Amino acid sequence: MSEIDFDRRLERLFAETPELPDGAQFAAGIERALSRGWTARRWLIGAAGVVGGVIGAGQLFASGLFARVESAGQSARVLSEGLAQVTSGADMVSALSGGLGPWIAGGLAILTLAFALSRVIEEI
Amino acid sequence: MPGVITNFASLHDVELCAHAAAGERRAFGELARRHGSAVRYLLRRMGAQPAEADDVAQDAFMAAFERITEFRGEGTFVGWVKKIAARLYLRRLQKARRLAALAEAEAGGFEAGPAADADKRIDLDEALKGLAAAERMCVSLCFGAGLSHQEAAEALNLPLGTVKSHVKRGLDKLRARLAPPASAVSAGSRGNV
Repeated sequence: MSEIDFDRRLERLFAETPELPDGAQFAAGIERALSRGWTARRWLIGAAGVVGGVIGAGQLFASGLFARVESAGQSARVLSEGLAQVTSGADMVSALSGGLGPWIAGGLAILTLAFALSRVIEEI
Repeated sequence: MPGVITNFASLHDVELCAHAAAGERRAFGELARRHGSAVRYLLRRMGAQPAEADDVAQDAFMAAFERITEFRGEGTFVGWVKKIAARLYLRRLQKARRLAALAEAEAGGFEAGPAADADKRIDLDEALKGLAAAERMCVSLCFGAGLSHQEAAEALNLPLGTVKSHVKRGLDKLRARLAPPASAVSAGSRGNV
């Protein structure tokens, strides 16, 4: 047998491998490991998103944005008093323009930033 | 991005890779089902114990999943994973300082030569056991994992000439060991007349 023929035969022999009896079990183990890794990654991404959101919202508070919202709320209150005679829906505007408004806005900001950060990290 | 598929068994490896690249873990599971044994066998032939071979094979598949977008379908998927697995195994040996010991390991039980048990047909795994550890490793890397001599030399951190001579000696022994029975050869030549 020539060297080239023997080399080819050897490559064939290396490529011809019988199925190991626990082949399905081995593959299932890999699928499980991948799922575990994926779950852990999702938790990490979520946690990173929340931390990022909290930091972002903290920055918003620190920048005095909510004080400006508060003063805008005063204007909204004056407006809502006028609108109160037209529709009862104005009560909601009034509630938002009171002390709750900044907190609701802050919460929404955290959620939005957390979601945005999560998406960005996931894409990366 | 590929659509939603529930039965991956009918898909080609390249299609499965595309699904896996899109994050479909079941598609990658099918690839592991198809080629897991081949990768595990290669590691055993390189000299790994079965449990260690399984560990490294699993790590190799996990690494392949992480880097699936790098697989462009130029070679076969299993060939690609085998290369990853071989390198991971070598790295593990290196870490455990077992790689250097390879070169010093003694040869196995038989000598090369035309008369060496040629009439008794044995399989590749048995034949490989007769090689020195370094010969076995080099032959498995070049013929099983598809590495070139140069790549094997780099992976083993050995001079190219050393790898070539390990391969040469290993092949000589395997040729003697795996030679077809004399009766089969003579029957074949009679058939050609």
